[in-house]
Amino acid sequence: MFFDYSAEQQDFRDSLRKLVADRAPLSAVRARLGDAHDPDLWRTVCDEMALLTLAVPERYGGGGFSLEETAIAVAELGRGLAPVPLFEAVLAIEAILRTGTEAQRQELLPGLLSGERIAVAAMAGPDGFDPGTKPVIASPASPAGAASPASPAGAASPASPAGAAPPGHVLTGSLRHVLRAHVADLLIVPALTPDGPALFVAERTAPGVTVSEPGSSFDLTRPVCAVALDAVPAVRLGDGTGPGLDDLLDVGRTLLAAEMTAAAEACLDAAVEYAKHRVQFNRAIGSFQAVKHGSAQLAVEIDAARAAADWAAMLATAGDPGLRTSALIAKAQAAETFTACAGWNIQVHGGIGFTWEHDAHLYLRRAKADEALFGSTARHRAMLADRVGL
Amino acid sequence: MDVSYPERAEAFRAEVRAFLAASLPPGWRGLGALAPGERRDFERAWRATLAEHNLLAVSWPAEYGGAGLSDIEQVVRSEEFERAGAPTGTENDGFGIGLLGNTLLVAGTEEQKRYFLPRILSGEHVWCQGYSEPDAGSDLAGVLTKATLDGEVWVINGQKIWTSAGATANWIFVIARTDPDVPKHRGLSFLLVPIDQPGVEVRPIRNAAGYDLFCEVFFTDARTPAGHVVGGVNNGWSTAMTLLGFERGAEVTTDPIRYRRDLDRLLELARERGRDAEPGIRDELAWCYARVEIMRYRGYRGLTRFLAGARPGADGAISKLVWSEYFQRYTELAMEILGLDALAPPGAGNGGALKVADAGTDNSARCWAEEFLHARAGTIYAGSSQIQRTVIGEQLLGLPREPRLDGGPFRDIGKPAATPALGG
Repeated sequence: MFFDYSAEQQDFRDSLRKLVADRAPLSAVRARLGDAHDPDLWRTVCDEMALLTLAVPERYGGGGFSLEETAIAVAELGRGLAPVPLFEAVLAIEAILRTGTEAQRQELLPGLLSGERIAVAAMAGPDGFDPGTKPVIASPASPAGAASPASPAGAASPASPAGAAPPGHVLTGSLRHVLRAHVADLLIVPALTPDGPALFVAERTAPGVTVSEPGSSFDLTRPVCAVALDAVPAVRLGDGTGPGLDDLLDVGRTLLAAEMTAAAEACLDAAVEYAKHRVQFNRAIGSFQAVKHGSAQLAVEIDAARAAADWAAMLATAGDPGLRTSALIAKAQAAETFTACAGWNIQVHGGIGFTWEHDAHLYLRRAKADEALFGSTARHRAMLADRVGL
Repeated sequence: MDVSYPERAEAFRAEVRAFLAASLPPGWRGLGALAPGERRDFERAWRATLAEHNLLAVSWPAEYGGAGLSDIEQVVRSEEFERAGAPTGTENDGFGIGLLGNTLLVAGTEEQKRYFLPRILSGEHVWCQGYSEPDAGSDLAGVLTKATLDGEVWVINGQKIWTSAGATANWIFVIARTDPDVPKHRGLSFLLVPIDQPGVEVRPIRNAAGYDLFCEVFFTDARTPAGHVVGGVNNGWSTAMTLLGFERGAEVTTDPIRYRRDLDRLLELARERGRDAEPGIRDELAWCYARVEIMRYRGYRGLTRFLAGARPGADGAISKLVWSEYFQRYTELAMEILGLDALAPPGAGNGGALKVADAGTDNSARCWAEEFLHARAGTIYAGSSQIQRTVIGEQLLGLPREPRLDGGPFRDIGKPAATPALGG
């Protein structure tokens, strides 16, 4: 009977918090608004900390930890809005682990786990597809055509065993909201096939791929790119018999909930710190009940979000089917809490909180962007009602 | 993380289930299914059965009449009883066993433990709580009830109020002022006072839902032996807070079971009335479902920490806010689902249940209307929501306290500050 962080998990969390404080303080995050990518930090995260390997079994070169530790890692980097594609890459790796064939895992994972190549999961809507556009269509590649059925990772690992790659496809369509696609080497793309939705792997440099600059993103610290696919050669992950896209989305929701909860804490911490020192009416404003009780109520919601996110991470680790409901609960709770905390931080700071120079808006932007991912909060509750049979 | 219970706890769970299956009346649906007359008889007989099977105080040491098991068995007992809709004792047992008994175990003298604990379990002493007063609600340390030592007895004068189950009690634990010349928190003592004496009068108060659930208690030269003070003379605030720790720690895993059962009733109500598919109602029902699940998750975390020896501080304040605010929100939803039926709600009431209706209670409009009314009390008693938010703000977040106007000796509070004489 233990539902809390172990001493080792707490140490791990503290070391990550220190790493982010040292290497990616908000001043450094601000210096990279735009591409929001720090290659040096990414190398540290992948090489020294091996954060991409945590939940990967040792036989694929993983660290033999679990999604609980992965959630802690995503949370701590998210707490500081760190400029690295950890969440996106972890989700892509989970996609390969969960839906790929044994040969695909052997072939794709090593390059990704080292961080040398970056894969991002191009999933945004409640069912993984981008609700803003028509779904990407996968059609079988013509055997002799230019769209070779060779594995997209073939270039990186020419020694891949013959026959490891399932029959090739070409993808056509567009995605308007792919997180950090500008730094990706590989794209994990949900696409429609004649037998339903499936996940595909495509090289970003493959012919027919166009990735926009991340210029006009609302979330300045985690930009989205538009991706256009025109008969792009791609390989289907798995043989169509494995777990579906829904399971992967629930893992995504779980990790996102952990991230949002930590970022919500960062907002409340900032608001509380300010309220302890800002004096008006000859008193610290945090001594006024209006400020104190508002902050306390958000602490209650953060506590709820933390419980839900930890629960979902525990179930994801155990492969428990209860994740189908707890991931929705965790994501919805975290989204509402993060938005409320980000807004409260601006409110408590007053005018200074609404300046470009202050970091508060960076969190509010992240909160609203996260809230929309994988379905709005109302959509999450509607899905929850469906899944539990309300 | 792993929320499976240890093997011995699961073995005990099987024993408890077997006991319930063998001991509850055939066709048992819960306390709420009994007619009011049957209910009192059942409760009396049931309590005797529990005492006989050592199920009233599972974690108390055997030398004081308990079962001598550990906290997790106590938790398992409560969970299984809640699932079966079976009471774990009377309402007074909540005060006698859950609050006072547990407090005596940590703060009582050996003599007090040996005298009081077995009498609590036997049912000879039936307890209620004398904390609030007409002029000391949220400001509990401002109590005016006074106790003075007269030789070998305390003489008590004053008034307590909102005393739940006071009408069925024969003992009351009282926070009384024993030294008015020191600051308010320092001059209090925690006294154990028999009710069956001429100086104590208990009068019921009808609550807003129409039930006589709480009382006011008047003390006029009431007496109790000098030794019936818990935790030391003038150290009553500390004892009072120890007791509140038990109040806020006990229900972490049973509350979610209870609220889930009641949410299932609400879903049934929404379906019966064809309201469950309305988007607004459905969204709110899903929110309620999520909130009860979060209570369950929090319960396991609370239990993890409780078993590790931690006692809830600000965490207890969070639990209190979560359930009480939820209670109001979902009973509001029930009223929304009832619509015009709430204007003259038919059917049986909620039996005066302070929290959710007992298992087996009719899923009637009147039951929901009464539950809705009772939910208003949840954010007031046991520390109002505002007090809880102050606790969280100051203890968890470290926000500064407000400037206080109640420092200095208690007897000088509210008097005009001494001002320098004007003029020559």
